[in-house]
Amino acid sequence: MAGSASTGESSRETRTVAIDAEVLAGKRFAYQEDMSLVEDIDLLAATPGPDINWLEDITLLEEDGVPAVFDRYSNSFLKIYFDIPSGREDEIARKVLIKHLTDGNSYGITLKDIHCKFPQVELGPWVDESAVVGTDWRQPVLEGWTAPAGH
Amino acid sequence: MPGSGSRSGVSYDARGLVEPHADMPDNIEVDGSRARFDATDLTIRQINMALRKLIYNDGIADVTVLNPASKHSLAVGILKRCRIHFEGSPGWFACGLIDGPEVTINGRVGWSVAENMMSGVVTIERSAGSLTGAAIRGGDLIVKGDVGARTGIDQKGGTIIVTGDVGINTGFMMQRGRQIICGNAGMNLGDSMYDGSIYVAGKVRSLGVDCVPGEWTDADTELIERKFRVHNLGEPPTFEKFVCGQQLHNYDALEPSERKLVIH
Repeated sequence: MAGSASTGESSRETRTVAIDAEVLAGKRFAYQEDMSLVEDIDLLAATPGPDINWLEDITLLEEDGVPAVFDRYSNSFLKIYFDIPSGREDEIARKVLIKHLTDGNSYGITLKDIHCKFPQVELGPWVDESAVVGTDWRQPVLEGWTAPAGH
Repeated sequence: MPGSGSRSGVSYDARGLVEPHADMPDNIEVDGSRARFDATDLTIRQINMALRKLIYNDGIADVTVLNPASKHSLAVGILKRCRIHFEGSPGWFACGLIDGPEVTINGRVGWSVAENMMSGVVTIERSAGSLTGAAIRGGDLIVKGDVGARTGIDQKGGTIIVTGDVGINTGFMMQRGRQIICGNAGMNLGDSMYDGSIYVAGKVRSLGVDCVPGEWTDADTELIERKFRVHNLGEPPTFEKFVCGQQLHNYDALEPSERKLVIH
């Protein structure tokens, strides 16, 4: 498990105290290692309004000693492994995050199709054309269970 | 929609929806990628159903709602880039939980407008009630008038701009983000705030616990000038900045642990 810190000496498995986007996805993404894959992203076009809007609050952070950006849509850190040019830290962090979201790789997005109760766009507001999910939510049925009397 | 009955006689569906009248409005006028409808005779659920259908299913990018008549919870939970115009005044909890829309309100709003907004722009041409921008996470919220108490309570990001005065407990437990107040501020400004910046151009009745004057930087000037420019607010007045004194909480130290799941 990537980006871990042991929480018990006798644990057979490595446990982590951080929520890591790689762990949630089960893989690392190419844009975490290659800056050229995010260089062309237009942050103004990717956000509502006349400036970068919500990305104003997104800055480069650090997790497990590695530069990282926080993905609020999955409550996880997305680590960045390439060298970030000095003075462009926040810009690059924002571009990596937008790439992660627009590619549909944020863990919260992968849960939408199954769990959305109400119609919404699958890829969120970052993508113009996106499938609508949550149009046919049905109450889960636990086999063999019956509601108590009066309910 | 099939429902399950209750002793009260109110019918709930599986998602907890209770309002019985759920027919799609038949007064929607569509013109290309724009649409408009009169909400005078519509229920809250009908208005929100129409907005979701137009924006999600029909690819409409610009919707005008006429005569919202102070109905509550309008345009809530819209998670797509679009433009929504209210010709009139919505009630409480307008535009809550939105992620992407750019909303203009040509009137007043009640409590908790743009509560929990994730991203987008909400512009209100007149005054707003208490709890404006409560728990806002991102985006810009502009009120061209006065607001009530507890503006930006529990704010976690985003920018709230008020061209008039704000009431008591503005910025209470603010954790991140920015408030730009062009008028006066009531008692207890920034009480128990963890982080973020509050800019006030007028008089401050009193500062709350652990809210202190902050050091002005070039980044503050850039922010104020940019926000006034992009939202056409004219020439900015001179502001004083207030921040967390870090005696009560220290969000820099708290935040990393708050964002981690500890497995025991």
